[in-house]
Amino acid sequence: MITVTPKNKPKEFKNDFWKSKNFKVSIGEIVEKKEVETAPESMGPTPKPNVTDLRSWDMKLLERYEPFYAPFCDMCCLCTFGKCDLTGKKGACGIDIQAQQARIVLLACCIGTAAHAGHARHLVDHLIEKYGADFAIDLGMNIDIEAPLIRTLIGKKPKKLGDLKEVLSYTEEQLSHLLSACHTGQEGSHLDFESKAMHAGLMDDLAREAGDLAQIVALGMPEGDENAPLIEMGLGTIDSKKPVVLCIGHNVVPGAGIMDYMEDHGLEEDVEVCGICCAAIDISRYNKAAKVVGPLSKQLKFIRSGVADVIVVDEQCIRTDVLEEAVKNKAAVIATTDKMCLGLPDLTDEDADEIVSKLVCREIDGALILDPEKVGEVATRVAMKIADERENLKILPDLDEIQEMAKECTECGWCVRVCPNGKPMMDAVVAAGKGDFSKFVELYEYDTCYSCGRCEQECERELPLMSMITKVGEHYIKDQKYNMRAGRGPVQDVEIRRVGAPIVLGDIPGVIAFVGCSNYPEGGLEVAKMAEEFLERNYIVVTTGCGAMSIGEYRDEEGKTLYERYGGEFDAKGLVNMGSCVSNAHVSGACIKIANIFAQKPLEGNFEEIADYILNRVGACGVAWGAYSQKAAAIATGVNRWGIPVVVGPHGSKYRRLYLGRTDKKEKWNLNDLRSGEVIEGEPAPEHLMYAAENRGEATVMIAKLCIRPNDTPKGRQIKLNHYIDLHKKYFGIIPDDISKFIRNEKDIPITYKKDVMNMLEEAGWEPRALPQEPSTMAFREKARGK
Amino acid sequence: MNERVIPWQPTVIAGPKQALLVTPETAEMMLKKAKRPLMVMGPLVKDSPVLSLAVLIAEKWNIPIVSTGDMFKTLNEADIKSKPYGVVEIVNLLKDPDWGGINGEGQHDLVLFIGVIYYIGSQGLSTLKHFAPHLKTLTLCKFFHSNADASFPNMKDEEWIKYLEKLAE
Repeated sequence: MITVTPKNKPKEFKNDFWKSKNFKVSIGEIVEKKEVETAPESMGPTPKPNVTDLRSWDMKLLERYEPFYAPFCDMCCLCTFGKCDLTGKKGACGIDIQAQQARIVLLACCIGTAAHAGHARHLVDHLIEKYGADFAIDLGMNIDIEAPLIRTLIGKKPKKLGDLKEVLSYTEEQLSHLLSACHTGQEGSHLDFESKAMHAGLMDDLAREAGDLAQIVALGMPEGDENAPLIEMGLGTIDSKKPVVLCIGHNVVPGAGIMDYMEDHGLEEDVEVCGICCAAIDISRYNKAAKVVGPLSKQLKFIRSGVADVIVVDEQCIRTDVLEEAVKNKAAVIATTDKMCLGLPDLTDEDADEIVSKLVCREIDGALILDPEKVGEVATRVAMKIADERENLKILPDLDEIQEMAKECTECGWCVRVCPNGKPMMDAVVAAGKGDFSKFVELYEYDTCYSCGRCEQECERELPLMSMITKVGEHYIKDQKYNMRAGRGPVQDVEIRRVGAPIVLGDIPGVIAFVGCSNYPEGGLEVAKMAEEFLERNYIVVTTGCGAMSIGEYRDEEGKTLYERYGGEFDAKGLVNMGSCVSNAHVSGACIKIANIFAQKPLEGNFEEIADYILNRVGACGVAWGAYSQKAAAIATGVNRWGIPVVVGPHGSKYRRLYLGRTDKKEKWNLNDLRSGEVIEGEPAPEHLMYAAENRGEATVMIAKLCIRPNDTPKGRQIKLNHYIDLHKKYFGIIPDDISKFIRNEKDIPITYKKDVMNMLEEAGWEPRALPQEPSTMAFREKARGK
Repeated sequence: MNERVIPWQPTVIAGPKQALLVTPETAEMMLKKAKRPLMVMGPLVKDSPVLSLAVLIAEKWNIPIVSTGDMFKTLNEADIKSKPYGVVEIVNLLKDPDWGGINGEGQHDLVLFIGVIYYIGSQGLSTLKHFAPHLKTLTLCKFFHSNADASFPNMKDEEWIKYLEKLAE
């Protein structure tokens, strides 16, 4: 691990807080190493950027995409001045509501980034300990650019696992500075808070790449394999007659420990290992025998079903009452990371036999075990020992009992009022009391009821609503077996060579990434329907995490899932499951690779030029329809900084901040044509950077629109507009009245709609305008030099 | 506490400032006072009688309609004129005092909301509460919206329809 401040790095050393860190780090590293690696000759201006190094880029984005704040809370409750009401007034420290909202967004992004960076740190340290710091980072023949983010941001190629420690040290250092800006009495500008939030998001992206890269190479996960195997998913795939170990969270290491123990002891056929959330995806990338229960929204329902004998939790997105829930049906809990200890005794150094004995005898409800190999042994052995005695506990109340319980409902309606989605739980209970379970089934299907359990907490009769809905669902929807393609990891360089030009020129209408959590307004079916719509229209659809699992739960009339109907290649009509949340780094990674492989833009230390290229030329759009966690906030803000717009569902408005463009302000869309050196009239492409849609129809139309880019060729623009108009007609009934904004000359008009569009252009007083040759948001080079 | 004026989703409470509870009569007074009102109609008003009553109110008071989500299609098929915007887009425009309004005649001074999904509507109302001191917001939904300036209370359908009928008469 070697760090040297590049010779040609143009920024001057200044004796201030932000700038001094390069100097300090470099000394330590040089002393430790005998050989000093020289920086590449082509090193760009911002290797290892501090937040202020990329501030000017952020301000360009924020000028066009002004932050839109929707305060979730009007108060600041962070200091001992007491709560400050910021409605129309400043807080006691001087902060106003704009800056406070931006501060909370930064805080959320820092939390999300810390979750990924902490996770990546655990992974990398563990894998180095197990496989050595010199373990090669090699993704095979089809991937030369193994780490586009690390190359662009750190400025060099990671060759071995040990190199990733430098990446994480940088990320952690930046995170520390960013988090410190949230302290009372520091940053006071909402725009600077936003710039810092973007930096946090960028660090999040970087940490995710380091984490996924480490687990791919060291644990032998698919290395960008477009033919990654189809794996089993769904409650129906789990044989509850066997001992069952359930893993929940995001860190693959404990799950891998379980799979290894089973393999070493020939127990693969005797014990079921399954997972919820990203741990599920990553364990199935490690070993396809592991089964995926489903996304986050399955958590409480599955725990209540009692099927799991042992519940292994690692970190992130786990119910914090998991121990309380497990105790109800005598399942054992094993916590495995410092992030989530649950008050359990730390038995890491205790003999495995002793731990197994304590858990089996119910001397303890669970244990904290920080050694993944010991977790593997203890979890498997405990499950095998307690499975038989738990057999009766795997049965929820039967339908007759549910009907009797439902009759107790007082119809107070509070279950509906506290439901995040206002779902008709009370109607379902009332109907069940009359023997009609159909409304429960509707809530159960596609996790329309997210099973957060708020309704149950509110019920004045203390009805176990989640257990009731689980039983009814399991009874009526027996065939919960699906196939999902295992997470394949990054996009291959060869695929980028094939699709780079069609994407940049617009022949492939867009790359759409369905990512994020399962806090859906109307259930996971909506995500699958959106994915299907864009696949049918020749887009490239990539996916990760809970989104990937929700897509897998939808089958067409012939019983096939989208993974069975569409291939896994990164190409038009490809459905690319990249993996878990950390694999989201490969979404921005693919866009970066397009700039490098197709357009020959140098990567090292060259963030702004790459981001500018993506913003103006790569028609990519992220969709986090069920955005829920702070990690999702960090992920979205990170990809925003790369120039990739994101559409979130209606719950995403609770992140408090969007980035919205204004089409009525024409001057905001001017472009610098770097080829001609002229400022030319641009277009709202992409129109927004972070957008919350109210429902699927609106989102679908917006996604298609946000794939438009200034660089589209006339043919590419025709294709993109054709889809935009088609979808607008489908969901709104008419050709969109802003179509004239996207037509530069007559060659851009989709042939199918030529007559109608020409009439609209005439009514709008439209005039043709020039196509940019090299559209950019960056300053002209001459002007930049002049500065 | 009077359950009619607890936000319908009780957890959306944002701070000490709560909406004024209004009856159809006080809502009518707000409309009479307004110079450039606007109605924002969301996708939850797709069925009559609520849809037809909302349209009657817009017609009676000569209020232009913005449709959110995919509501435009429903209105268009019923031959009712509206302009489609995402709810966050129209709120973003409404918070700009210099925006020219839906018909280019100037920023609006009273915005009526009906049928927007509760929680995203609540968020948008919070935006306007903080960043649009130049306008008032009034919700006609059957839910109490604490982030609005003025709101109907939580009601059952029957009572809600009576409220709307009074405003439309």
